[in-house]
Amino acid sequence: MSVRIERRLEQPRWLGVAVPTGSIVLALLLTGAVLLLTGHDPVHAYHRLFNAAFVGKDALTQTIVSATPLAFTGLAAAAAFRMQLFNIGAEGQLYFGAIFAAAAGLYLHSWPSALLIAAMVVAGAFGGAAWAAIPGVLRAFCRTNEIITSLMLNYVAALILNYLIFDSLSYWRDTSTPEAKVFPQGKLLPDAANWPSWGIVHSGPGLVIPLGFGVAVLVAVGLWALYSRTRFGFEVQVLGDSWRAARYAGIRTRRKILAVMCLSGAIAGIGGASQDGDFRHLLDPRGLQQAGYGYAGIVIAALARYNPFAVVLISLLLGGLQNAGYALQGADFPSGLVGVMEGLILFCALGCELLRRYRVRVVRRAGPEPSVPATEPTS
Amino acid sequence: MNNGIVVVVAASGVLYGTPLLFAALGELLAERSGVLNLGVEGMMLVGAVMGFWTVQRVHGNSALVLTAAIFVAALAGAVIALIHAFLVVTLRANQIVSGLAVTIFAGAAGLSSYLGNDLNLADKPARHAFDNISPFGLEKLPLAGPILFGQPLLVYISWACVILIALYLSRTRPGLNVRAVGESPAAADAMGINVAGYRYAHTIVGGAFAGVGGACFSLSITPQWVDGLTQGAGWIAIALVIFAFWRPELCLVGAYFFGAFSALPFTLQARGVTIAPELFQALPYVATVVVLVIVSMGWTKRGLGAPAALGTPYVREEL
Amino acid sequence: MSEPASTPPAVRLRGITKRFPGVVANDAVDFEAAAGEVHALLGENGAGKTTLSNVMTGLYRPDEGSIELFGRPVEFRSPRDALDAGISMVHQHFRLVGAFTVAENVVLGDHRGEARTFRLHPRRIERRVAELGEQFGLAVDPGAKIWQLSLGEQQRVEILKALYRESRVLILDEPTAVLTPQEAEKLFVTLRSMADDGRTIVFISHKLNEVKAVARRVTVLRGGRSVATAPTADATPQSLAELMVGRELASTRPERVELTAEDETVLEVEDLWADGDRGEKALRGVSLHVRAGEILAVAGVAGNGQRELAEAITGLRPPTRGRISVRGKRLPAGDPRRAIRAGIAHVPEDRLGTGVAPSLTIASNTALKSYRTQGPFLRRRLIRRRADELIRDFDVRGATHATPARQLSGGNLQKVVLGREFSAQPSVLVAASPTRGLDVAAIATVHGHLRDAAADGMAILLISEDLDEILALANRIVVLYEGELAGELDPHGATVNEIGLLMAGGARV
Repeated sequence: MSVRIERRLEQPRWLGVAVPTGSIVLALLLTGAVLLLTGHDPVHAYHRLFNAAFVGKDALTQTIVSATPLAFTGLAAAAAFRMQLFNIGAEGQLYFGAIFAAAAGLYLHSWPSALLIAAMVVAGAFGGAAWAAIPGVLRAFCRTNEIITSLMLNYVAALILNYLIFDSLSYWRDTSTPEAKVFPQGKLLPDAANWPSWGIVHSGPGLVIPLGFGVAVLVAVGLWALYSRTRFGFEVQVLGDSWRAARYAGIRTRRKILAVMCLSGAIAGIGGASQDGDFRHLLDPRGLQQAGYGYAGIVIAALARYNPFAVVLISLLLGGLQNAGYALQGADFPSGLVGVMEGLILFCALGCELLRRYRVRVVRRAGPEPSVPATEPTS
Repeated sequence: MNNGIVVVVAASGVLYGTPLLFAALGELLAERSGVLNLGVEGMMLVGAVMGFWTVQRVHGNSALVLTAAIFVAALAGAVIALIHAFLVVTLRANQIVSGLAVTIFAGAAGLSSYLGNDLNLADKPARHAFDNISPFGLEKLPLAGPILFGQPLLVYISWACVILIALYLSRTRPGLNVRAVGESPAAADAMGINVAGYRYAHTIVGGAFAGVGGACFSLSITPQWVDGLTQGAGWIAIALVIFAFWRPELCLVGAYFFGAFSALPFTLQARGVTIAPELFQALPYVATVVVLVIVSMGWTKRGLGAPAALGTPYVREEL
Repeated sequence: MSEPASTPPAVRLRGITKRFPGVVANDAVDFEAAAGEVHALLGENGAGKTTLSNVMTGLYRPDEGSIELFGRPVEFRSPRDALDAGISMVHQHFRLVGAFTVAENVVLGDHRGEARTFRLHPRRIERRVAELGEQFGLAVDPGAKIWQLSLGEQQRVEILKALYRESRVLILDEPTAVLTPQEAEKLFVTLRSMADDGRTIVFISHKLNEVKAVARRVTVLRGGRSVATAPTADATPQSLAELMVGRELASTRPERVELTAEDETVLEVEDLWADGDRGEKALRGVSLHVRAGEILAVAGVAGNGQRELAEAITGLRPPTRGRISVRGKRLPAGDPRRAIRAGIAHVPEDRLGTGVAPSLTIASNTALKSYRTQGPFLRRRLIRRRADELIRDFDVRGATHATPARQLSGGNLQKVVLGREFSAQPSVLVAASPTRGLDVAAIATVHGHLRDAAADGMAILLISEDLDEILALANRIVVLYEGELAGELDPHGATVNEIGLLMAGGARV
């Protein structure tokens, strides 16, 4: 008897649902094991986690608040990964979106609210796209691997963000009061720059949906349509499968790299704009950096297998987890549990991905089997 | 002592560069075998917290406790690296995503924080820490003395590691085999080299190095534990490997260079010069991007030492 | 020259079966080779030769069957077991580390006796490699890096590896594909001297002449089964071919399309220079022209600039100098899209990675060059309909428009590529090794399509390493050697030997 791993010729459709579900269940079991080993009661912890994420007062609303930036960065990662372009710079692109959107919000303070919000979205998208264009240009014209460059630029972006608020007297920094000089923070955006939200459910725990989440859903629809229905999407599909085939087909690969990097950066940048407009109402370096939105977005895109709609769904799930993590922070709830769970979910998803691509077979040696006409595999 | 500012900056460059050096050496071993491990930050943090736990909980003679702490830190880093190795070597998962997952799992908002909190380690001074030693009174040497020889033991150990790894890669059979596995796993496999075995071994040993690098922080530089203690040193270590063209001896130079950059603003501040620290902190990242561009422009067509099979899984029996 | 029955053969395989998902690559194969003989393993592409050799070298583990070496049963869990048992292999795609020196490659993975030392002694190894090279006529500089060597030299390194390890059995998979006929002749001498030294050589090939020239006995594989073993002295190319294909071969050689003087020149290449991947000058001033209805064949040993020539003409590789024009109109350098628009079709050497996007459906791959219709949206229904038409017209077997391209066999895949390229009604076709790796029936189909296209007035540039193919199809033959055209021949008068001399850079016409 031996275990053999074989490539699947066809991937059954039910696996597409079974694999992610199975991996989340497996991750919950593993986290439970970690909790047990360290002397916590897993059932109790999960119960509190679930309540804090989805059931308690304002839980769902807060979950959507946490999910909104994750949906943007998840979509940003999915947009690029589809083309085998590993933009892991959504983190930095989100910062730049936030910087540009805050600038627009402050500078155009006299504009009517609707126009101002639109201007912030455009500015955020532009900021993210501009930051993503750096690794994009380097990849397209110098063939520099975008993984490391986009990663490094995350740190540069974070440092620029800190510099603007903490170590300079920039346009974004509040210098109006003496306290603001001791405890630096960003200028408050005008009221017209506050993005609206809609209360959907008023009874019980309530549910308020911020504009940003709606924009994320629209972006998901747009991304799906772009990638599955247009010539642009077709070219991305070919490039994602084989660069050589794409060149052979006359696809302009450089332009496409740049376009997709900028698209990905723009989506992350709108996420930054939404942070300014929906939730923070000022350029807030600490708040933007604390959650690692960009990296979580990659996790989400990978779990969703780059499907835009699945990205939105999974961002709600991980958003719930993050939200619960904040809500329960305290002496009796283990800190870091959320990261452990996120990591384990991703490990399980990566591991189970094997089941989708390969079939694991237990082979009994020397067993007769009906033979099929042979062709030689070319390795 | 009235040391010039250059000496102070250089000495702190060596001190702050040492955790980078350990982590970069570990990453170098993994990458030379073809495995890209973006989980360095996570492995460092887990190493840091477990090393710190050891000095707080184990009683005995300081030297013994610290030795035990280094081993525990190495072991902790290795265990985390094992997860990555299992995912990418055995299960052929995407190395980038898996590495990021390791950092999320083990990093500042994950296992290291969980352990630090659960073991009640935060914000307490270390019961034992590495003191500065001056071997054979070499510290008295002009210039080089205070820079190189007034340092904690881990600095001297890191030098030994650089020499050993450089010799290992260039002069030994296992070293030749690793390089072959990283360059062309198919060729190595055909010559009877166990590709998966080499990749596992080097990824795990690399994790151990990262764990020791993390312990440099919690046992030597800032002898205490706080969440996210390493502050992105793991990412700089990854950059450093590229910056050093995948060569251990250049890792040493680069680590001290980058270490000096991260220490410079504080040194200057102590002397009353205020320069935005972000400027210096950004330099390692910008420098790495520049080096990457130079490498990829292809002025030397064979690249500058990047293992050809870096980041690609190896599967033998496939249609 | 038969051994006494008591001496067990050097290698004996019994009932080897190896399955892959969906196929049985080896089906109860028996095989035997004696010490001191060159034994050929003959079969079409897809007959299971490579799989069988991978089983012999421990790369694949058989599902059923047993292996004996010198009468002792062995079981290989990995290539290392096979190497330790004395079996070495020269793969079709060499297993060399490009960044290493010759000596480092030779010593790689060695762990016997003296080599058990932890330390490496580069000098000592280089000396030993030089000695072995001299002894068997395999001259290479042991200190040179692999990537600096030609394919022929790299092959010598592969053989040196086996000699260094003192292998008793050496398997070579299609070794002459990268050699000129004259170089092949030299290789045969080396192989025979190794056999006289008591070693066993397993020579894998699908070329009948080679098998007769080098081997003493031959085992024929067909459809994953071993169908016969015979001394080559008793076999004729005819009888071997019939065993290999499993039916009588009609030796039809249809007439070439004859050209008239006024057929216009369609493709014109003047003084073309281009760099290779390593920055070397791969093309040095190539000039050629192809007329409508003509098949111009470019012969040559792999690695003499063929790939660069095809890529430069189709826009995939920007030339450093020179001009390419179609019907008198000059093409911009390095622009595949403009080349397609100018009417240049391309059947690339690398069918699965370049010719199609492997994971995409046949429908998508059919549309690979024709998806640019009006407007930003994809006309999906039209694309599917065209794919169905192509599948019908070109007789693509076992597939619908939704089948991923990677699931097709080589022959069916090439039909998809040809069908797509012809559908654009191009005026020029650049076909690079269009039948490599295909079985006899598929080769005949592809040749038929190429002849028909020429008869319809297409100008075809056929780049091939297969001299039989060139002699069967070409109206004119040019030979590419080290990036230059070494001469032009008329296929009616040319012999394999003449072409071979030009391929080796011997005589210039």
